[in-house]
Amino acid sequence: MRFNSLAFLVFLPLFAAGYWATAGRIRLWLMLIASVVFYAWWDWRFVFLLLFSSIVDYSLGILLENENDDVKRKRLIILSVAVNLGVLGFFKYFNFFAGSAAQLTRSLGLGVSYDALKIVLPVGISFYVFKTMSYTIDVYRRTENAERDLLRFTTFVVFFPELVAGPIVRASRMLPQLRHYHRFNFERMVSGLTLIASGYVRKVAIADSIAPLVDIRFAHPEAHNALSLLIGVYLYAFQIYCDFSGYSSIAIGLARIFGFDFGINFDRPYFSRGFSEFWSRWHISLSSWLRDYLYIPLGGNRGGTLRTIRNLMLTMLLGGLWHGASWTFVAWGALHGAYLVAQRFIAPIYQRVIRVLRVPAFASNAFLVLLIFHLTCFAWIFFRASSFANAWQMLTGILHLHGMHIADIDNRGRILKCVVMVGVLLLFEAATFLPKRRKAVLAATPDARVTVSEHPLEASPAMRLVFIAACVWVVLIFGSFSGNNFIYFQF
Amino acid sequence: MRDARRASIWFAALVAVIIGGDRLLSWTLSRVLVRSQFRYSRLYRGGNDAGILILGDSRGVHSFYAPAIEELTGLRAFNASYNSMSMRIAEAVLMDYLDRNQAPKLAIIEVTSLAFEGELTSELRTYAEFSPRLSALYDEAHPSAAVAGRAFHLLNLNSGFYLEALHYMRRSDQDWINHSAMPPELRNAAPVRWRLPTPENLTALNRMIAALRNRGVEVRLVLAPYCPAPSNMGEFAQVVERSSGLPVWNYSGAVRDPEEFADTVHLNERGSRALLAMMKRDGFFGMTEHPARF
Repeated sequence: MRFNSLAFLVFLPLFAAGYWATAGRIRLWLMLIASVVFYAWWDWRFVFLLLFSSIVDYSLGILLENENDDVKRKRLIILSVAVNLGVLGFFKYFNFFAGSAAQLTRSLGLGVSYDALKIVLPVGISFYVFKTMSYTIDVYRRTENAERDLLRFTTFVVFFPELVAGPIVRASRMLPQLRHYHRFNFERMVSGLTLIASGYVRKVAIADSIAPLVDIRFAHPEAHNALSLLIGVYLYAFQIYCDFSGYSSIAIGLARIFGFDFGINFDRPYFSRGFSEFWSRWHISLSSWLRDYLYIPLGGNRGGTLRTIRNLMLTMLLGGLWHGASWTFVAWGALHGAYLVAQRFIAPIYQRVIRVLRVPAFASNAFLVLLIFHLTCFAWIFFRASSFANAWQMLTGILHLHGMHIADIDNRGRILKCVVMVGVLLLFEAATFLPKRRKAVLAATPDARVTVSEHPLEASPAMRLVFIAACVWVVLIFGSFSGNNFIYFQF
Repeated sequence: MRDARRASIWFAALVAVIIGGDRLLSWTLSRVLVRSQFRYSRLYRGGNDAGILILGDSRGVHSFYAPAIEELTGLRAFNASYNSMSMRIAEAVLMDYLDRNQAPKLAIIEVTSLAFEGELTSELRTYAEFSPRLSALYDEAHPSAAVAGRAFHLLNLNSGFYLEALHYMRRSDQDWINHSAMPPELRNAAPVRWRLPTPENLTALNRMIAALRNRGVEVRLVLAPYCPAPSNMGEFAQVVERSSGLPVWNYSGAVRDPEEFADTVHLNERGSRALLAMMKRDGFFGMTEHPARF
């Protein structure tokens, strides 16, 4: 079931009514059953995989906690990681690796052929596998207690707002919240609805309006001039941002209404002045997961420059591969890894130059924001392209710079509409950079880190009412109601 | 309990603000829409006194370049054609035109669209507020969206047409035509077989002809040029002639130079001017009906 479907508009009030009418284990059962229905709406067969994954990690969590022998504990955690990555590997990467191996052998003249298996990718598998895997790793590290209640653990895994496209809410955050009884709270409901409304604006009005303009450019780069292709790349940067941050916002808002706090997943990433800052603002739940369960265990930035470079590259390559079984995603990860490595060398020199030339801070920051945004856009070309050939077509089409006439661009009215909406979004986000406003926002919320995109108006219920109504009007007049899937569903 | 009561009041207020704002905004935006120089805004605003009215789909748009018609005939031309416009939609547009504007001397109907069911109703819903005919067509084609549009009026203004109307706020769109020439990869396309008119569209065409004749308007049915012409255009024209009782001016193979086309089915400005000059020579713009055949 998609958040932007009619079925969900029926599902949500029914769930809410049941949720507030129940308590204790009945409420947990309701959450579990509703989440299973939400998931099964897409494909009921994969509910069993979801439950299998939950039961395996529930059992291994208890065994890990009960076991004191380090060797046996190590075996158990290896088993957990193997099962989780095995499931993910089979459903998401089997064809990719088998196909790539066959291609390699063919290029070596061995003539091995491979017919791809017809494997359906279970929606949300990358998200829930990372969630359950981090749970067993935390229990192994003894930073988290094993959950002894199967119902509660399964509810944690399948809770519908974050099930299919994140954010990846870890057990340490979610399980304690599932142990508490959440009363209906008017303030939480209003602030949750505010997040949901801003999420729908980003998804339905901005991302879905941009989608056809981007699709046609990546599908037929040869039919567009350089300026048109460049616009397509810029628009894609905002399509994916609005699509995914929109989903996150809706998920976080839904959870908030029901008393849960998921944390934040996006914090105005396109205002980043460096790539490490970008990755602390973009898909925060994934980047912090990769940091805590991959980069730091690999040694992080301890152990010298070469080891740091290796760890950064490995983390970003795997981060790229997490997004999809294609070498274009690996290339995207490699580019971001290279950016992070380059930043480590260039940043000190840049700071020295800025000091010597006495460049004002705002000018330096504006330059960095633009630079990071454009390098990010360059990487997005590989992320969005269907193949390297497609990415190459886009790049050569742009770099040849022939045909930069705006008059030759189709759908100028629709492009202008999208540009205006993105402009308004950026102005709105930039508003929180004003220190006074940011301070006020921080003071009004218990969250340690706050973003305007996820707390659009920390104001009175009346102000929020006007904000939500305005979001509804924007969706009505600018929304695309073609029922597009969220981009991150495919990951 | 207190929170639940506050929530009920807040929700009621939210619904009231959403609906009230929807009505106010849609009313304001509709006033803006009707002031535009976009063809349908002009049509529904009324008061046009064009001597020649053109109806059809995208081939009607690109074959009958209004400024060139005006140069050739000295009559004011109004091209009400639009991409993907089926004959049933054209009928509603024509009837609305006749209700609000002075009847033209000559109506040109490009009949290719007799073969298609148009997708244009979803765009023309933007003008449904001004036209019960368009509203009925939209209800029929998109029943659930029509219900949503009645609940939230802003939805009806969520269209490419509204953006077009904003774009043409200060200048007319009647000079809108392709200027580019056919890309090389399309130039060796083999002739295809065109779909024949649907009975529903033929009936709509007959009603249009009757309405125009009742107001003393000369009617010309035309098949605009293709490159290459489909193999069954003669058969297509015969079906239309049998049903309507009017001759079809079949220019489907009259223009052969690919430089005069933007693609295989649309003329560019140069092609349109060439066609119109040919039509003038053939007496097309005169008031006697005798079709040219190619």
